[in-house]
Amino acid sequence: MSILATESSGFVFHAWLASAALPPGIISRLLEEYGTPENVRKAIQSGHNRTDSIPAAGLKTLKQNDVDEWLEKEEQLLLQNGIKAFTIKDHEYPATLLQMEEPPAILFYQGNPQCMNQKNLAMVGSRAASYAGQKAAGKIARNLSRKGIGIISGMAGGIDTASHAGCIEGGSRTIAVTGCGLDIVYPSSNIRLRDRILENDGLLLSEYAPGEKPVGWHFPFRNRIITGLARALIVIEAKIRSGTMTSVQHALSQGKDVFVYPGDPTSLYFEGNHRLLREGAIYFTTAEDILEDLGWLDNPGIIRQNSDCSDRTQASTPEEKAVLSALEPGKLGFEQIADRSGLSPAALMSTLTMLQIKGMIEALPGKQYQLKDKDNQHDSDPEE
Amino acid sequence: MDMIMAKTLSFGVNGVNGYPVHVEVFGINGIPGVEIIGLPDASVRESRDRVNAAIINSGKQMPPRRITINLAPADMKKEGPSFDLPIAVGVLIANREIIPDPAVQTEKIAMFGELSLDGHVQPIAGALPMVISAKENGIRDVILPEKNAKEAACIEGMNIMPVSHLRQVIAFLEGSDTIEKQEQITFDSLKSEIIVAPDMAQIKGQGGAKRALEVAAAGGHNMIMIGVPGSGKTMLARCLPGILPPLSFEEALETTRIHSISGKLPPNSGLMVMRPFCAPHHNASVASLIGGGQDAKPGEVSLAHNGVLFLDELPEFSRGALEALRQPLEDGTVNVARVKKQAQYQSSFMLIAAMNPCPCGFYGSARKVCRCTPQEIRRYLDRISGPLLDRIDLQIEVDAVPVQEINSSAPAEPSAAVAARVNAARTIQLERYRGTGKHCNAQLNNEEVKQYCSPDAEGLRLLNAAMDTLHLSMRGYQRILKVARTIADLDYTDLIGSAHIAEAIQYRELDQKYWR
Repeated sequence: MSILATESSGFVFHAWLASAALPPGIISRLLEEYGTPENVRKAIQSGHNRTDSIPAAGLKTLKQNDVDEWLEKEEQLLLQNGIKAFTIKDHEYPATLLQMEEPPAILFYQGNPQCMNQKNLAMVGSRAASYAGQKAAGKIARNLSRKGIGIISGMAGGIDTASHAGCIEGGSRTIAVTGCGLDIVYPSSNIRLRDRILENDGLLLSEYAPGEKPVGWHFPFRNRIITGLARALIVIEAKIRSGTMTSVQHALSQGKDVFVYPGDPTSLYFEGNHRLLREGAIYFTTAEDILEDLGWLDNPGIIRQNSDCSDRTQASTPEEKAVLSALEPGKLGFEQIADRSGLSPAALMSTLTMLQIKGMIEALPGKQYQLKDKDNQHDSDPEE
Repeated sequence: MDMIMAKTLSFGVNGVNGYPVHVEVFGINGIPGVEIIGLPDASVRESRDRVNAAIINSGKQMPPRRITINLAPADMKKEGPSFDLPIAVGVLIANREIIPDPAVQTEKIAMFGELSLDGHVQPIAGALPMVISAKENGIRDVILPEKNAKEAACIEGMNIMPVSHLRQVIAFLEGSDTIEKQEQITFDSLKSEIIVAPDMAQIKGQGGAKRALEVAAAGGHNMIMIGVPGSGKTMLARCLPGILPPLSFEEALETTRIHSISGKLPPNSGLMVMRPFCAPHHNASVASLIGGGQDAKPGEVSLAHNGVLFLDELPEFSRGALEALRQPLEDGTVNVARVKKQAQYQSSFMLIAAMNPCPCGFYGSARKVCRCTPQEIRRYLDRISGPLLDRIDLQIEVDAVPVQEINSSAPAEPSAAVAARVNAARTIQLERYRGTGKHCNAQLNNEEVKQYCSPDAEGLRLLNAAMDTLHLSMRGYQRILKVARTIADLDYTDLIGSAHIAEAIQYRELDQKYWR
């Protein structure tokens, strides 16, 4: 075997065993019997009778893939992307997943697997989300994150993106469960988000072997892992027929609480939310509501110091101080800052750039600025 | 055989240039009629009926002859009614209805003007290029419609004779009366009449946008403004001509010429001294923007030559129209090619574009909620192509600020004060680029940016830091340097410091927030 002679990730047979799209239950039974994917392979090669449970089509795929060419290609993907894996038999496997129906038998990951042991909440919603929904997702994720709660989502566009980003900004570690191999970023516009998740000590998880394409049926199926890993599910924005609704089904069958954000009742974007609320989902508007209901108020998770916030240069010039004090009460437009700080437009422009580079303020659409830390700590965003 | 013959001189227009046209009238006994040859278009051919009526209404006769009128050179297409007057005079002389005073050299007098049936002389399009061409051809005397007189009066050393009726021309040629000469109008005297409207002082608040406008004017930079409806984008753009340096005589001539041939000059107006401000509606076709039509007429980009082209609701313009702007923006000229005619027009303008941030207009507004999805916003912004954005140096957001939120009662600066600073910065640039063929910072290419726009060490460090933290694009990098050069020029300093760079970075804010 040529690949074993060279560098090895040690997980190529995990990928091989995952490649046949076998039901997780069957893979789990095989692993129960033989211990590791490599042993499963030996058993199949030797025609061991316990492998009879594998459906014919799956067995055919496994045999097809058990060639040097396929294994080498897979090994490359694992090594290049630093993808690791564990099975249901390994000690890393989170106990919380075992309680669900059809727990995933093999999981591939990038980043820090410790994230699965922290206090986590799942946050889901529409990909084509409204602006209001994304704002809400970002804010709630950020505030939960500040209390040390990790956010699990699917790294899709819209609500998922806002949730992950909010969690990173709040300083906690976020987990993304994807519907394709971890070598692929779907949608590709989220490459930067993927990098940020990893840079901030987060975790990327997938049931699918590297190289697996994002096929439609993967997504509702992976949703069970998102809810499975979490203590409760938070629904931000759901249309009546949507993937979010399948997440709710998973959460209910796994016995998880479902929190639903109310949203604008006249908006189509929130139709599903109000259906769920009528059916008895838990109503909430702020991060504190959730913490209170879960009994986590006095017992927050581990608060990670966000390096972005602590490493801050102090305001040095009188202009910078004037702008910062003008922004103290909340976000302001350019003209208002000019008015309150007494700076000329030209001087204000350059001061704003300096403060932006120092990371002390951020620019918002509509020529508005706000202090980076002041951002709705007490849910007092006047816009909503 | 009873033959008659006469010649008069007129001028036609091709593109923005005039050329001499000799009107030859030949009459012979035969079936009465008038034939015009020399590639006349319909309006020239109809001239015979106007001329006929005008002659009779001026108290002269049209004897029954077969008359042929040739417009030489015969291979150029003639268009427009400006040949009515020389044709009428030619016909009158040929028929011996007028016996010209021996002192008057009829063939050395340039004549143009449209005749109405009662003999009045009407204004025509293109008088300025015709008079310029007359001067170039050594002609001094020009008889033209009264309402075109001012337009022509700025050309030095000409004897401009404005007339309002054919009878005046007849009397002058017969030597029985004189025509009152049009005084030469000097360019400086015109300039003193400039009325700056609207004035910047009328805009309350909007200090940031006004400063950006000043920078744009000082460096000749194109600018795009994003803002909610009613935030004053249009008003800001309209102020721009008032803070740009005044037109030079040559520029005024170039611009007036283009307006003259498109018939856009109001009657009785002289040389244009204000920079033009063109604001085509967003349903404008490619041909109307760039130039076109059967006669390859100049489009809005040329009418805005040496001035401002303002495109409101930029994403609503057709893709084709927007992409067609790229050549004039790059070269300062457009080539308009049509089957029948080709022309090159100058089109060196400042582009000021305005748009809403999203289809509903309220994305990012602090006062109203946006109803658009991110996808809709993306699609809306993507209608502006990268290559077009590449040619726009300044990008700013304009937010409507209710007046009551501005406490300070400091009076807003009038346009004249801003214009003085702009003028000073432009002078510095003219000096710096002497002999390079460039005249403002906006025209620098990447090589020249390296040569002229290097910041000091602190500025460079800041720019590099900003590239990382604010996610600026590489295309933004060059533009920041160019704009920083202009800001330093406004500061009367040669050195581009960190404050200049920092301000310039603010003018790329749309790259950070919208076109990420």
